[in-house]
Amino acid sequence: MATAPQFFRRTALAVGAEAPVTRQETARMERDPFLLRTLPHEDVFFYCKKIDNSRLVREADPESRGKCWSAIGAACLALALLTGVLAPGAASTLDGYRIEVLRAEANNLADERRALELQQAELLSPQRLEKLAQKQNLVTPLSSQVVHLDNQSDSTVAMVKK
Amino acid sequence: MVDRRLTWLAGLVFVWGAAIFYNLIKLQIVHHQDYVQKARSRQEHLIQIPAARGQILDRTGRPLAMSLDTQSVTVDPLKLPDLKLNSSLLANELDLDEAELYSRVKATFDSHHGFLWVKRDITPQEAQNLRSLNLVWIHIEPESHRHYPKGTLAAHVLGGVDFAESGNAGIEKALDAELRGERSQARLLTDAQHRGIDQQLASEGRAGSTITLTIDERLQFVAEREIAAAVEAHGAVSGSVVVMNPYDGQVLALASYPTYDPNEPPASVNDAGRENHATGVSFEPGSVFKVITLSAALETTSLGPDSMINCHGGVLTLFTRTIHDSHGGMGIVPMRDVLVHSSNIGAIEIGLRVGREKMYDYVRRFGFGQKSGIPLPGEDRGRLRRLPLWGATSLASISMGQEISVTTLQLAQAASVVANGGLLVKPRLVLKTAGQTTSPAPPVRVIQPETAIKMRQMMEGVVLEGTGKGARLVGYTAGGKTGSAQIYDYAAHRYTHTYNGSFMGFAPLTNPAVVVVVTLNGTHGQAGFGGAAAAPVFRAVATEALRILDVPKDLPDAQTATPAPIAKNEAIDDLAIADLGSKQPNILEDRDDEDRPAAVAPAAAAAKPAAPAASQAAVPNFRGMSLRAVLAEAAARGLTVQPDGSGIARVQDPPAGAVLHAGERIRVQFAR
Repeated sequence: MATAPQFFRRTALAVGAEAPVTRQETARMERDPFLLRTLPHEDVFFYCKKIDNSRLVREADPESRGKCWSAIGAACLALALLTGVLAPGAASTLDGYRIEVLRAEANNLADERRALELQQAELLSPQRLEKLAQKQNLVTPLSSQVVHLDNQSDSTVAMVKK
Repeated sequence: MVDRRLTWLAGLVFVWGAAIFYNLIKLQIVHHQDYVQKARSRQEHLIQIPAARGQILDRTGRPLAMSLDTQSVTVDPLKLPDLKLNSSLLANELDLDEAELYSRVKATFDSHHGFLWVKRDITPQEAQNLRSLNLVWIHIEPESHRHYPKGTLAAHVLGGVDFAESGNAGIEKALDAELRGERSQARLLTDAQHRGIDQQLASEGRAGSTITLTIDERLQFVAEREIAAAVEAHGAVSGSVVVMNPYDGQVLALASYPTYDPNEPPASVNDAGRENHATGVSFEPGSVFKVITLSAALETTSLGPDSMINCHGGVLTLFTRTIHDSHGGMGIVPMRDVLVHSSNIGAIEIGLRVGREKMYDYVRRFGFGQKSGIPLPGEDRGRLRRLPLWGATSLASISMGQEISVTTLQLAQAASVVANGGLLVKPRLVLKTAGQTTSPAPPVRVIQPETAIKMRQMMEGVVLEGTGKGARLVGYTAGGKTGSAQIYDYAAHRYTHTYNGSFMGFAPLTNPAVVVVVTLNGTHGQAGFGGAAAAPVFRAVATEALRILDVPKDLPDAQTATPAPIAKNEAIDDLAIADLGSKQPNILEDRDDEDRPAAVAPAAAAAKPAAPAASQAAVPNFRGMSLRAVLAEAAARGLTVQPDGSGIARVQDPPAGAVLHAGERIRVQFAR
């Protein structure tokens, strides 16, 4: 058993790891202003009682397992809901990046296509074609060299004429 | 005690909540727009989506004008941190001369201008490099650049655009509202690295409409090539060609020379090459106008192609003015010969029978003196004085194509009336707008179909044996009329020795597919007359047009050989030259008769009707002959045969022994 001052002192000693102070030394040191003064009800004694509860066994609770799984399920559901709510936004953001990249690519391809169409038109200009034809010694057919197909209405254009 | 503490705690919580609520209201309601703007300025970029100007296509869908999106770099020199350093940076990125760029930036800075084009039409790679620099003083502006891939082809039809891509001539100007698109604006949501995440349309634009013209690129090229060659060959100042479908008014080619490249900026404000001579420059038509006179006579008088007209031996005194026929004159000849040999006196005689009011009415009906309505800016309405302003000799002058000015397009419109059976169709240049076919204006009847057929037959005579032999086609019948009007010098108040040589015609004769009108302005000498200068252009253009349009031939190739060049002895007399020195404007002097008519009666025998001779031949009997034999016989006699069917000749019209007038053909029906 120990009094409250002793209890606290013992605790302090355990922390400071100093030598125990006797009662005489305490009396001599009463003038020390930092010394803990006597507490009221100093005659109250404390004692430590060792309790061995190793033999205690937790009472089986058949509902707790269910509660646990319910909690886990609820947490998973909440996670799924949260994911369901947030995932589209995240996915749309990622898709937005891709769409913008593709849009820029589409614009570039459209520009490239127009440039190619322009180039094609320049290459097929009659002036250029005539120059090329002249280099190849090609001439416009004379009127007498032109044979017009008969405009048959019975779809027999491709047939060999008898 | 506890209650008091709880009360304090509740009070503190309330104040804390109230403060939060107050700030929420302040943030989300009071200053909502401010914070939205701030957020947008950080997260969003307003991007301009340019609307490309609409394409212009020919009737087969070949592009004649198109726009490409480009980007250009601009800076504000007044906001450049360091002129030298920044110029050096830009020059390196854009592959520009550093010193030259610095001098431009410095000059702009010194003149306190806050805008400078650094480089236009940069490549996508250059734009990407500049954007990666992330410098606020570099601005990359989206632009659009107009291209005309065929160069000078159809330049006067297309026109051009200015630096802001606004049309300043031709179709580009006339249909600027349709061609010009409206650019869109979009908000681009970006991340911290300015990468795009999402786009939202802020304002919806409109793409420029594609315009499909009635012009055929191949025909246009042929027309331009031929008129350029003719102008150069005859030393003319300018020339124009119009090819038109006579039934729906579609203009298949409209060429003007000199020309220009619409890709290049104008050389000067008064660039003569940019003047459209087909629609914007009127001239005195001369003898081609006799077609109108004779049409009006057939409609309003009892005259017919065989009616005899007194040409007074080539000299006529009218209200103290003596009028000469330049070729020496004819006596009394059928009306068809007046047209075939282009007698001025004969045309005047016919015009006088029509009368002033009716002549004016028919000239207006044929579309002269008024705009055709073709969508080209600066169209000239020509000049036709109102009836009260006509002088004593105005009727005579107009009867032979003077005292009136017309455009080449108006002549094509008038020739279409004869070619299509008497209906005036408005010329059309736009086939489709944004894929929608434009509807033509309803035609208006001008002359009766019978009149049109008679005129066609007489005009065929012009080509076969008259002044327009140079227009004779191989494999096709054709009709036409030449014209050679002296050009009036307004400064000297007299006519000059330069001419407007013209030819208007159509082919084939029975069912014309094309009308072609050719005009050369400022030709010299006999070689510059319509029959010598313009008719060969007609022949070349019409031949190509009929081939391109796949029009079946209506004559055997063997029958119509290549036309012989005009012989020297067919040259006209230049009797009117003496009149040129007169200070009085002699508007009646006209010459386009390249060949002297075979049936010309001497002047002394003016009172006598001309005897039908070489121009009238007896029809042989073709019955029982093969096609080859018929063609050989007809060729030997100089006759024109229109065969139908195959086998042996069974029926012919006119019958054997009948007198065949000039220009008439013999229709022969073959059967087995």
